[in-house]
Amino acid sequence: MFLINCPYCGERDQSEFSAGGEAHIVRPKQPTELSDDQWAEYLFMRKNIKGVQFERWNHSHGCRKWFNMVRDTSNDKIHAIYKMGEKPPIK
Amino acid sequence: MSRNLRITNNKFIDQTSRISFKFDGKTLYGFKGDTLASALLANDIHLIGRSFKYHRPRGIMTCGSEEPNAIVQAGNDASMTEPNTRATEIELYEGLEASSQNCWPSVNFDIGAINNFFSPLIPAAFYYKTFMWPANFWKLYEYFIRKSAGLGKSPTQPDKDIYDHRYLHCDVLVVGGGISGIIAAKTAAKNNLNTVLIDDKNNLGGTTIFQQNECFKINNSYSNEWLKKEIETLNSIKNLTIKTRTTLAAYHSYNYLLARENLTDHLDLNERKDKIRQRLWKIRAKKVIIATGAMERPLIFNNNDRPGVILSYSIKKYIDYFGVKCGQKISLFTNNDSAYETAISLSNSGVSVNSVVDIRDRTNSLIVQQAEKLGIKIHWKSAVVNTNGYKKITSIEIMKLSDDDTTVVGKKIKQECDCLGISGGWTPRVHLFTQSGGKLKFRDEDNVFLPDKSELDQISIGSCNGDFELDSVVKNSVISTNKFLKVNNNDYENLKINSSNEINKKNIWLLPSNKPLGKTKPFLDFQNDSTANDVKLALREGFKSIEHVKRYTTTGMATDQGKLSNMHALGIIAETADVKMGELGTTTFRPPYTPLTFGAIVGRNVGEFFDITRRTPMHDWHAKHNAEFENVGQWKRAWYYPIENESIHEAVQRESKAARDSAGILDASTLGKIDIQGSDASEFLNRVYTNAWSKLEIGKCRYGLMLNEDGMVYDDGVTTRLGENHYIMTTTTGGAANVLGKLEDYLQTEWPELDVYLTSVTDHYATVSICGPNSKKIISKVIPDLNLSDKEFPHMSFRNALIDNIKCRVMRISFTGEHSYEINIQSSYGKSLWEKCFEAGKEFDITPYGTETMHLLRAEKGFIIAGQDTDGTMTPVDLQMDWIISKKKYDFIGKRSLYRSDTIRDDRKQLVGLLTDDPNVVLEEGAQIVLETKKQPIEMLGHVTSSYFSPNLNKSIALAVVKNGKKLKGQKMFVPMKNKTINVTITDTVFLDKENKRLNA
Amino acid sequence: MLNYNSTIIEAKEYSDIKISEVEPTLKINLRGKNRDFVTKIGKELSIILPTDPNTSSGNKELNLLWLSPDEWLIYSNDKNNLETINSSEDKLFNDISKTKLGSVTNVTDHWIMINLKGPKIFDMLSAGCPFNFNKFKYSKGAVTQTLLNHVDVIIHNKDINNLNLFVRRSFSNHLWLWMNDSARFV
Repeated sequence: MFLINCPYCGERDQSEFSAGGEAHIVRPKQPTELSDDQWAEYLFMRKNIKGVQFERWNHSHGCRKWFNMVRDTSNDKIHAIYKMGEKPPIK
Repeated sequence: MSRNLRITNNKFIDQTSRISFKFDGKTLYGFKGDTLASALLANDIHLIGRSFKYHRPRGIMTCGSEEPNAIVQAGNDASMTEPNTRATEIELYEGLEASSQNCWPSVNFDIGAINNFFSPLIPAAFYYKTFMWPANFWKLYEYFIRKSAGLGKSPTQPDKDIYDHRYLHCDVLVVGGGISGIIAAKTAAKNNLNTVLIDDKNNLGGTTIFQQNECFKINNSYSNEWLKKEIETLNSIKNLTIKTRTTLAAYHSYNYLLARENLTDHLDLNERKDKIRQRLWKIRAKKVIIATGAMERPLIFNNNDRPGVILSYSIKKYIDYFGVKCGQKISLFTNNDSAYETAISLSNSGVSVNSVVDIRDRTNSLIVQQAEKLGIKIHWKSAVVNTNGYKKITSIEIMKLSDDDTTVVGKKIKQECDCLGISGGWTPRVHLFTQSGGKLKFRDEDNVFLPDKSELDQISIGSCNGDFELDSVVKNSVISTNKFLKVNNNDYENLKINSSNEINKKNIWLLPSNKPLGKTKPFLDFQNDSTANDVKLALREGFKSIEHVKRYTTTGMATDQGKLSNMHALGIIAETADVKMGELGTTTFRPPYTPLTFGAIVGRNVGEFFDITRRTPMHDWHAKHNAEFENVGQWKRAWYYPIENESIHEAVQRESKAARDSAGILDASTLGKIDIQGSDASEFLNRVYTNAWSKLEIGKCRYGLMLNEDGMVYDDGVTTRLGENHYIMTTTTGGAANVLGKLEDYLQTEWPELDVYLTSVTDHYATVSICGPNSKKIISKVIPDLNLSDKEFPHMSFRNALIDNIKCRVMRISFTGEHSYEINIQSSYGKSLWEKCFEAGKEFDITPYGTETMHLLRAEKGFIIAGQDTDGTMTPVDLQMDWIISKKKYDFIGKRSLYRSDTIRDDRKQLVGLLTDDPNVVLEEGAQIVLETKKQPIEMLGHVTSSYFSPNLNKSIALAVVKNGKKLKGQKMFVPMKNKTINVTITDTVFLDKENKRLNA
Repeated sequence: MLNYNSTIIEAKEYSDIKISEVEPTLKINLRGKNRDFVTKIGKELSIILPTDPNTSSGNKELNLLWLSPDEWLIYSNDKNNLETINSSEDKLFNDISKTKLGSVTNVTDHWIMINLKGPKIFDMLSAGCPFNFNKFKYSKGAVTQTLLNHVDVIIHNKDINNLNLFVRRSFSNHLWLWMNDSARFV
């Protein structure tokens, strides 16, 4: 059970949060211009790596804000948390 | 046969308070403070149960949670009996009834013991190998195998006890109340850290508290006396919470730990009423100090499992702590110094020690010298090669070890004894450390795995960190704790510690025997009855990974998770395969550390608290009017309202007819409601729904379909424009929270530029829905001021109104196809409004209807229910709802997916209507639809999603999804069922009032 | 006349815990982002909008709870009549929502306010709430949104051992029963 430092509310139990998959996948501005393959790339393709991964999380039972997390999926260590729209603090 | 084996000079057991208990039906006596094990030993009872596979007699082996053998059925009540409890952990209470497991007819005469004679025929993986073929015989085998599998009996009645959960947040959690834990807890709490100290025993002090020996002194006091004073000082320290009888069950990441506190298990049965039996603590600690100590290892030699073979240090605890003699003529067998402490304790208590058999060459540490001074005979460089006796040990056979320790030599000495203490050294309890994700390192010198790296803010101190001597335990605990907590506690500076330090170390995982290995029974895993031979066999058969050997031989897979056996199994594997133990690694230690009761896991989430329930404001009215309720998500919704003895079918037929013939009233309060405000509200709706919203006039309602980005239908509902920048959206009952979450997601992450705010108002409004040809008349009675003419208040529009001065919103929308109104009023007045409408409708026989009738009525009209007729694979086109997809809009959620190669396929499953050839046959929802019944395998072309008998059409109707269904109208198809095949015809989805005349009727 | 119906019938008292419903009270949800919104709210209510996370502001009549960087909850200390609730909502709605400064939504009946008093209330909450109350307990005016027995709640620390807890109306009956059950074992 993680302890997650919500960028707005502070440290809270994982049960207050929900995970939202890979971060930094921007919805194409003009989907209709895309080929099936390009659209499929946006829609389905996710890295799902073992190791350091960029993720979206939502403080769904708190302030309801979305934010980003850098997490090592192999040991669950959270390396960084940053707000939506901000650049990742680590590569 | 029962003799009193209790000595009288004892500080820990109150020998004035006698407790009676029953074991295998026989009434026995013990004292307050006893465990079941100590009380049984005091009554000279060693035989506790029969082993799992061979039904060999087994007795008490340890004094703690690692006990593999003495597992009993505790409690005699059908609701409270508990199998596989460790006699060494059960505190004695008045009225305890315990019995042996895995024996029939009795532990003394057990028919299953015949397995022991066939044991050469039951090697490792016997079941896997034997019952593989012929494959279809498994059905037969399974019956008998299941019957003989497992230990103990499950309770047959619901558990009457109360269990509870509690969250706890602290700065420091110290696990283990031995000498290290006490030093750490005191240091932390005195430095203003909010500290919790837990221990699984009923008292603090670990093994030091009964260690009264000249060789172990602190500041010139016996170590136990010094520690006793330390414990006394704990009471006056603020910030320190001590929880005894509390076992740490699991250590998860982020220092989240679960501990089970036993609150009433030690109480007399009549003192437990209305009290919580066990509490599961959910602990979040900033820092964790593990001080769980070490457990003694057995030695692996022929017939090392007989009742009366007990770990040496446990014998010491029974005599020093419980005042119980495990025997009258005790022999000891060891590879290290700790057995000498036992010998000295026994000797001091007047128990004769036959001899100590030590596999090492002569050593002269302080403790050995002390034993020799007391005249205790020692067989150096010798081993016990066999034990005799059946239900209890009667003698041992001792032989000299050869120079290279690989075999035994010389004359066999037979020694009579009634108890054999064995000690194979010590294993640090690193279970919690590894559970938390910590990595271990191996120390070759004494063959122990020790905590190495961890990602968490934690340390291990004391013997669980590999310190086994009193002076190193104390000194290192003090240094480590100060460093870890970044404090400078000087309470323990300049301690003078006397300690007998071990000089000579030696270990042989599998001791040599005078017989060939195949003729011996050196048990490794006592509970699962696997021997060293089984492990060797597994290696011969090609298993290399320890995880595979574990599963193949079941070593370490019993309820004790191999606490005693794992190290020897690894040692023997390493030796046989000629690899280093450190490279071999360990098997995975998984939580819980000791088994948890189901009660502790579920806590109060039983009965009425099993799941959350949500109620509408009108709930009490429904209940009073005999409604049956249906669970819709967490909501309790009125399902149907049976009159007298009506069946669900009869009630629904009556309700459905009434709603179309005159008037029906439905509680629609559960629908999700989202208030939308902001200057970009219309643009936002354009992006989330498939249809266009900009031109919706204020005061008008529109049905919308929401897709996922993959083009599949996600949710639907009616949205009303309340003002220029103000809408109210309704969602499905089950989808409310998810829809709000999804919309917030888009607003926050994809379209932050939009000026739109969402607020859930689901619970603020109660919704009364009235439908039917007389609905207009009823509404006009309830809200006389409202102009209800079709011109002033047409279908799909909304009006603000006042009812008795309370504001409400009236929508003319319909989910039944009837002329219909929905009144939204603030929830506190919902029940009253419902009653008012019901009263006003009485002259029209207004009929309350539930969700079942609602489903039927909408199916007659071919309206979908998202989640029933859709399953996340249906596009609006599949639903034949092409009309709702705006062609003009540049983009909306899911638009691009509607013309992916997969979504434009002709042969997708599409929503159709189904009529049965026999109008009285009602299809089963979920039934498969086929075109061809002769050819095998039958191709399944679709399935029924909704099916009812329509009282208004007087025939069976159904909705279904069928491959290429759109083009198959009029096609005859089949629904094969278990006993018959039903003939059906594909039709349009709308069965009733295709022209929508009833909406304005 | 339409009758007012509350979800909870009576206050309950245990040793060291008192649980009671305080209804009807005015509750309004506010959302907005820009400075004009913040200023306008301050003027309208004569209360400064709290912008620090997990805090609140207020006066004798009203409390303003921080819920998120762009969301707040207004609630009244005392029970209100309907006219007051409606007129307050209308005024705010006209001045904030209609002027496109933000959103104003009446949530008077969306939330039920339950008052918890007594030295053991935090023990009772910790039976089903993962939130760390160690600091919160001593911070007057602190606000948290969390889960209590898996139900979303807003908790406002009014005073030492005196909390106002908000739960959605449909969950209130269940949570009320759960709290009373939990209070038995504290």
